[in-house]
Amino acid sequence: MQSTEALVSVGLNHYLVLSALLFTIGALGVLLRKNMIVILMSIELMLNAVNISFVAFATYLDNLDGKIMVLFVMTIAAAEAAVGLALAVNIFKNFREVNIRFFEHLRG
Amino acid sequence: MSELDILFYILSSMSVLFGALVVLTSSPIYSSLYLVMSMLSVAGIFMTLNAPFIAGIQIIVYAGAVLVLFVMVLMLFDLKRETKAFTKGRFSGFLKLVGAGLLCGFIAGAAYESVSLIMATSEEIPTNIAAAAETGFSPTTNSIKEISKLLFTKYLFAFEVLGLLLLVVPIGAVALSRVAGGTHAKH
Repeated sequence: MQSTEALVSVGLNHYLVLSALLFTIGALGVLLRKNMIVILMSIELMLNAVNISFVAFATYLDNLDGKIMVLFVMTIAAAEAAVGLALAVNIFKNFREVNIRFFEHLRG
Repeated sequence: MSELDILFYILSSMSVLFGALVVLTSSPIYSSLYLVMSMLSVAGIFMTLNAPFIAGIQIIVYAGAVLVLFVMVLMLFDLKRETKAFTKGRFSGFLKLVGAGLLCGFIAGAAYESVSLIMATSEEIPTNIAAAAETGFSPTTNSIKEISKLLFTKYLFAFEVLGLLLLVVPIGAVALSRVAGGTHAKH
């Protein structure tokens, strides 16, 4: 009875497992999808998973550094999305398609 | 089971469900809408972790700015034919499932081990959020004032570098999409 109670009531481990699940989903999206926009979205999903574990550790260890790190991660994510989407626009201009197999021809 | 636990289970199942739908749907516009839902659930999870400031930033920056950028770029493209989400094949599908399970197990196991390591080194951590609420999260972790103090003292250099990055990135994005032939310009 004691063990089920410990399993059900939410602790740090629950947040870490949730973060692992979301990260895996994002990684699979990056590895398996062919559409470049969806790949960028999956990267956002992975960054979010990392943010969850940052905030969980920050709260449970009573330390603010993790929350600062989340702000940095969000800024980097926004910057990365902007550059990635600019590249996607370029690919679309050239090939009328946003499939990553056209990245094979990138040069210069 | 307290109310916070129930809230956590609802929000986490929502975020995982919508996250899976992002990867599984073939139409990118639906994927982006599912991604908004997933981001909002993650913001709720930040609220259960007693971090309202981070939750607000999550909604404003991700659900507000980044996702609008995604949707606007999608509207630039006219993707006539919907391609399949995944390449087909029963054997490779099986391999994908096994690989996903292994990856998730490894990450969760590593996180679990790291928790016990931290527990060994650090003193007295509230293992349960209800117990933590009883003893009280320290009021300083709550306040935006404390976060900004840390941001402008200990992390000042990183903050300035980030400002420079935010200046460079839009210039780079505009330059990339303005070149006539893009990355394939003929000289």
